Amino acid sequence: MLLHISSFQLDIDSQRASPWHQLVPQTRVLCALLFVFATALTPNGHWWTWTIYAIGLAIGIRLSRSTLSVLLKRVAIESTFLGVVLLGTLFRQGGTVLWQWGSLQITTLGLMILGSVAFKALLCLLMLNLLVLTTPVPALLNALIVLKVPPLLVAILASMYRYIAVLIEEFQKMRQAATARNLMRYSRWQRLIMGNMIGSLFIRTYERGDRIHQAMLSRGYTGLPPAVTFSKVRQPDIKVLTLTVIWLLLGQIIYL
Amino acid sequence: MAEIFVFALLSPHQVLKASSPLLAMHIPDGFLSLPISLLTWVIAIGLIALALQRVQRDLKERAVPLMGVCAAFIFAAQMINFPIPGGTSGHLLGGTLAGVLLGPWAGALVMTVVFIVQATLFQDGGLTVLGANILNMGLIGTFAGYYLYKAVRSVIGFNTWRGMATGAAIAAWVSVVVASLVCAVQLGLSETVPLQVAIPAMLIWHVLIGIGEAMITLIALSYIWRTRPDLLYDPPHQRVSSPRSLLPR
Repeated sequence: MLLHISSFQLDIDSQRASPWHQLVPQTRVLCALLFVFATALTPNGHWWTWTIYAIGLAIGIRLSRSTLSVLLKRVAIESTFLGVVLLGTLFRQGGTVLWQWGSLQITTLGLMILGSVAFKALLCLLMLNLLVLTTPVPALLNALIVLKVPPLLVAILASMYRYIAVLIEEFQKMRQAATARNLMRYSRWQRLIMGNMIGSLFIRTYERGDRIHQAMLSRGYTGLPPAVTFSKVRQPDIKVLTLTVIWLLLGQIIYL
Repeated sequence: MAEIFVFALLSPHQVLKASSPLLAMHIPDGFLSLPISLLTWVIAIGLIALALQRVQRDLKERAVPLMGVCAAFIFAAQMINFPIPGGTSGHLLGGTLAGVLLGPWAGALVMTVVFIVQATLFQDGGLTVLGANILNMGLIGTFAGYYLYKAVRSVIGFNTWRGMATGAAIAAWVSVVVASLVCAVQLGLSETVPLQVAIPAMLIWHVLIGIGEAMITLIALSYIWRTRPDLLYDPPHQRVSSPRSLLPR
């Protein structure tokens, strides 16, 4: 589920100085969004489109000076789902049959889909990881407000992000307590303890929510998050955004 | 959800080892075609807008802290691995649990928030398919799950633990299975995985996952029913029956 729990700090490269880091967060988010949507929604088989996008992304990664090893490691962990498409490839009909064994077969169509989906997924993962590695979470949330995501939703996202680590720690304490009392020996017990823990965690969570609410009220909370100051869009932002759009369109034009 | 059904081909022991961190219920980017992505996004945005409106109206300025911690709670609960009868392990998806505890609107909103954070910060599930993931688990898993639970509970006995337990267990199992079915259909219609492969593979696996989901939902709810029944979205009107403690003595 949470693949990066060991490294809870996500934005390890956020303090660097590079052309990419000079962009305001909303520009980075917008570039990433455009890139991901353009890549993922291109129909299967458009190899040249993705090649052009990959070149653009490579330039972006180079310019951002992010830590390549971390980036690739994260993408590698997240790419395990490709097995699903592999499975689909084995049973697919259509195209020329290249290899057959009983009802299993590999066809040209199957390979084309496997390659396309893998290419698309990989590019999207690289782009999103680049964004998260280089941009701190508060900046990402601010960018969402600038991009007209409802403030209430962003406020809930922010408050959730703040409490994830707290709740995970609370749960781990409960589990440690159960293990220390030798309650995790049989799977039947384990299920009961885990279920009870989740129930108890909910009660604690709900009460915690009330306490947070009281604390917020006592600090003058009125129902909306305090206004934040946004970084202004500058010349380079507009340039990069235009360049991204042109690049993405260029990739699509090839197949028109 | 997509990565799950590759495990259908492995032995239970392999599943146990392989699935622990990866048993996510999320379609990644690039798996759905343009029309399916757009359609599911439109539905999901409508759901989010409605849910935000309802939650804002019902909870007022409590909305932010309460929804925030509850989303973090579902996030934490989803990380907990537990053994499923039959030798595999699974984790909670939590849609029905969220619906039963917080009601359909707040529950759906909490699940949506969980998916958004997973997709944006942890790349668990894609951005372009976020609409589909919200639709599958938020709308079908939570919203429909809640109404199924409520219907069954009303029929068997609203104030009895038996009614509560039956409703929640059935809703939890059905919501997981139906969500996986819809996910399989989406993958099939996008021509990523052939329909005749996707549906059986997803169903076989999620019929099992659903049993685990139902058991854990049931045990968690029994704890809350015994200790703080007032926290349930539909609290019993009077204490008529209490469940036997499920803890071994």
